[in-house]
Amino acid sequence: MDVNQAKQEHLLALKVMRLTKPTLFTNMPVTCEDRDLPGDSFIRLMKDDPSTVKGAETLILGEMLTLPQNFGNIFLGETFSSYISVHNDSTQMVKDILVKADLQTSSQRLNLSASNSAVSELKPECCIDDVIHHEVKEIGTHILVCAVSYTTQSGEKLYFRKFFKFQVLKPLDVKTKFYNAETDEVFLEAQIQNITTSPMFMEKVSLEPSMMYNVTELNTVAAEELSESTFGTMSYLQPSDTRQYLYCLKPKPEFAEKAGVIKGVTVIGKLDIVWKTNLGERGRLQTSQLQRMAPGYGDVRLSLELIPDTVNLEEPFDITCKITNCSERTMDLLLEMCNTRSIHWCGVSGRQLGKLSPSASLSIPLKVLSSVQGLQSISGLRLTDTFLKRTYEYDDIAQVCVVFPYTSPES
Amino acid sequence: DNSDAPAQRPVTLDIDGAGDPDGLEASDPPQIDLLGPSTAPEVPFQEESIDLYAEAFTSLQDDSVNSESIIDKLNDQMMESVMISDSPNSEDEDVVPIDTLLGQNEDDEALESKGLKRDAGKEEDDTNTASSVNAAEPEEASASLFEEELAKTGDKIETVAQAAFDTPSPEGPNAQDTGTTPKDELVPVCTIFSQGVQPKAQALIPDGFQPILVKSPSFTISNTETPNRLVPQVCQPSPSLSKFFTDNGAGNPASDFFDSFTTSTSFISISNPNAESPKATVPPEPQLLSGPGSVPTPGPQEAVPASTYFSPAPQGGVSKPQASSVEPGASMSKLQAVFSGGDDPFASALSTSEVDKRYDAWLPSEETRRVLISVATHQVNPVQLDREHLSMPGLKFDNLQGDAVKDLMQRFLGEQAAMKRQVLSANSVEQNFLGLKQLISTKNWRAAVDLTGRLLTAHGQGYGKSGQPSNHTTDSLQLWFVRLALLVKLNLFQNAELEIEPFGNLEHPNLYYEYYPTVYPGRRGSMVPFSMRVLHAELPQYLQKPQETLDRLHGIKSVCQKILSNLQEGFAEDRSMVNLTQENREASIQLWRSRLSRVMYSMANCLLMMKDYVLAVDVYQSIIEYEPEQKVQLLSGIGRIFLQIGDIRTAEKYFLDVEKACELKGKSPNEDTSVLMNRAFVHLSQNNYTDAHECFASVLKIDPKNPVANNNAAVCLLYLGRLKESLGQLEGLVHKDPALYLHESVLFNLTTMYELESSRSTQKKQALLEAAACREGDSFNIQCLKLV
Repeated sequence: MDVNQAKQEHLLALKVMRLTKPTLFTNMPVTCEDRDLPGDSFIRLMKDDPSTVKGAETLILGEMLTLPQNFGNIFLGETFSSYISVHNDSTQMVKDILVKADLQTSSQRLNLSASNSAVSELKPECCIDDVIHHEVKEIGTHILVCAVSYTTQSGEKLYFRKFFKFQVLKPLDVKTKFYNAETDEVFLEAQIQNITTSPMFMEKVSLEPSMMYNVTELNTVAAEELSESTFGTMSYLQPSDTRQYLYCLKPKPEFAEKAGVIKGVTVIGKLDIVWKTNLGERGRLQTSQLQRMAPGYGDVRLSLELIPDTVNLEEPFDITCKITNCSERTMDLLLEMCNTRSIHWCGVSGRQLGKLSPSASLSIPLKVLSSVQGLQSISGLRLTDTFLKRTYEYDDIAQVCVVFPYTSPES
Repeated sequence: DNSDAPAQRPVTLDIDGAGDPDGLEASDPPQIDLLGPSTAPEVPFQEESIDLYAEAFTSLQDDSVNSESIIDKLNDQMMESVMISDSPNSEDEDVVPIDTLLGQNEDDEALESKGLKRDAGKEEDDTNTASSVNAAEPEEASASLFEEELAKTGDKIETVAQAAFDTPSPEGPNAQDTGTTPKDELVPVCTIFSQGVQPKAQALIPDGFQPILVKSPSFTISNTETPNRLVPQVCQPSPSLSKFFTDNGAGNPASDFFDSFTTSTSFISISNPNAESPKATVPPEPQLLSGPGSVPTPGPQEAVPASTYFSPAPQGGVSKPQASSVEPGASMSKLQAVFSGGDDPFASALSTSEVDKRYDAWLPSEETRRVLISVATHQVNPVQLDREHLSMPGLKFDNLQGDAVKDLMQRFLGEQAAMKRQVLSANSVEQNFLGLKQLISTKNWRAAVDLTGRLLTAHGQGYGKSGQPSNHTTDSLQLWFVRLALLVKLNLFQNAELEIEPFGNLEHPNLYYEYYPTVYPGRRGSMVPFSMRVLHAELPQYLQKPQETLDRLHGIKSVCQKILSNLQEGFAEDRSMVNLTQENREASIQLWRSRLSRVMYSMANCLLMMKDYVLAVDVYQSIIEYEPEQKVQLLSGIGRIFLQIGDIRTAEKYFLDVEKACELKGKSPNEDTSVLMNRAFVHLSQNNYTDAHECFASVLKIDPKNPVANNNAAVCLLYLGRLKESLGQLEGLVHKDPALYLHESVLFNLTTMYELESSRSTQKKQALLEAAACREGDSFNIQCLKLV
């Protein structure tokens, strides 16, 4: 179906074909046994068929490559490749042919031609071929603009253009979530969803941390020295499948020391994703810098340095709190301990902790017991800055599991 | 390696290395989104697009992201089905261009301005950016752009139209509709013409698929098949050439905006409007099979087994009367002599052949078994059995096919050229199994389907006989098997489904020899050939019901396993205490193992089509145990599956195993075609077409006639920008060795290159048509020539 009938006055014809990867031909085995009516004719037909796998004709996935049948989809991060062919359809020699291929996006125009020099002459029935490649970096409408200019034998200068429009779609949906650990560690959960229509092999999903952090990937399970992916042996994502990747970020020591540095919005790093689809068609994306709001510690930060995970019911246990002055001024602190329904503090409440200069910290051992079984939250610590008469409340600072210590009569 | 190189450049995202990405990235720090050093930060869609920042996960923004992705998905969807995905105001696009298209010739000026307006409007809606798409030379650009778009729209419309009449059909006409539906309602479609003639008109009525299809008055009944046939396009766009996993199924939007690639991507079987009415042309029917066997008593049916030339044990006594009276029967009995050892009718009637028993063995369901026992013990007269328990097949259509190649010749090369086309038809061969085999092996499957129809009609299971009691024989079931197998081979899946439907799950008592104690005295087991069970199981997957296929295959597999364990435990196949000689036992075990492996192949193939790669690979792997001699092919196949997914590293592991297996066989890996072929595929997956081409070339040094290597080498050349060379090579092969290269995959590649090369591709394609016409039978898939 030649659409360019109207342009028949041109001596040259421009054809463009997107070069996605070729595909492997699949055949459809229909077999019978020797005793069946067709006898050996079915198997003979299959053996004669060049597209079957010789010796294993019932295997549907053959080895014959076929060219792409249609434009297909193109996704952000993939490489757009096209064959551009300019053919001399006429019977005369054409001179000074210049073929130019530009890609127009919503924000810019790129020249994709391999060479920008003119071809001095083109004989009838001959072609000028060019294969262009471009990694697409924008979503939305793209227009491939192909321009051909040439001179006829009679010296007439002619020019025509063709426009090919295509849409670049988004291949992945990425969602992230941060979890702040009690320590300075931050855990990043990234959910990556394949929103294309074909399976995707995730070749690489890594977090490139910003300068403040070191990263540990938590996506493998170490089993007998071999680390095994948590996603199993087949690392591909079916359409609309989502996968969770987990990363642990630790502030580098020089940043961790100064508690003040990691404050407010910080840049964590970015995810680098490389995937492949059919026969190695490759795509790559990076997210923007992921940012997180560092948990606000206020003026005084209270963290736990030591706490048992399991304690006996009604039995006092020790915890160690670390109190850090995150403010810019010196504080004079007073510690109060308020009992809750289950948590009972031992010792004197309203104790003076003394002066604490900026960025300094001190550790205080405390004793506490729980009167209720189960997972209990440690709450009820109050720090008062006697200079400013400001009280800071610390509830739910940690959990302990409280168990009944006595063995049952039966055992 | 090539492909990995860019992966190691953390900042450089530009594959061409064009520009200076590092610099750009640095100079553009606030860049918010998925990479692209070049992305302008102010483009609004970027913000919504990919990332959620830390807190967004739980915040309001989350919603917006979700909805955004839904919109994306919608766009995706639209892209697939209609391809007018570009802009949110696609409705406009649907309508406007068509109107303008129709008016194009009269009013060029007006058009131009319209185009401009539309473009501008779209630009705004689309991106809300002061985009520079046409900024450079706004008037000229948009005018000519529009022209292109118009052309495109024309093409799109076709797709729309197709989609339009595709969608309603998935439910398909019920089996019951077949005979009864009024003629004018069901209009057979000749897809060739409907595409060429009516696309625009159709597009104007986007959801109406009934009205404007081309009617072919000569059609009598086969109405159901046409709408049906179109269904496969919906989910499996081109049943034969397009069984590509990647761009498979709903997946492909066919947004072939390139003018050179306007061809429909689907392969549709063409129903020939000029097909002769078989009733008029059927020659005096030789009484090959018994007469209209609608009488339920076995008496008149006795004749039937006469023609079981392929079953070594003739039911001699019974067969005599007919064999002598029927002309084709004579040839049958000759064949019988060839095939069977038992000449003594009485002896063979008493003791059924061991081979029969082995092949026919089957484990019926509990219910069927009870019925069969009661028939055998004369507690029940088969005549009294409830009809629901019987399988009563009949033809669902009896007018088929014709010869699409000839039609195409008539259209493109003229009447005279078409006259030269000589193919066998159902009329030009003997009206028996011999003729049928001849049609099959000359690839005249359409004619062969016609012939099976005639033979089944003679057997009393003709058109409209479905639901009427008739007796089955070994032959009638073989005929059904052949017919259904050919329908599947021809991609006429709906037809096959319609006709196999009365067979249910192949468990009806009247599909067992025990049901006919007088006709088949002493014979036991299933009349349904094993291959038909496999076919019956495989069929649903082609109709987008792969789960059903898996269920059925698992059923067959468990029977195979039970039979094997019966044999291994010293019983006969059906666990009876019959003594088997060691020789027979081993032969039987071997047979059933090969059947088991066949079923597993089907399962793996089905899983692969479902893209369940994990299970598919597992099953292929387990087949190696049953078919050790296919180890190399299977391992290579698994490797190719991984390449298809994109997992090159794992693929290489399997290819390494192939090399080891080859070394075990004493071959040097460099001399083994499958090893070289695998290497080529790995290079190909790394975008290294030069080395891939070299590997295919070295296969050709070992095996110059290897059609796969020849074709693949040509494909690589195209990717290297050497179109003429590639074309010359492929063209030469097709003309030099048509037997090997007149294959739809090769022809498809060749015609694609013709289209890319020149505006005169049609003439060149016609030359291919002529070449095909001389050699190929009526089952040739003309779609691969992309002439229509």
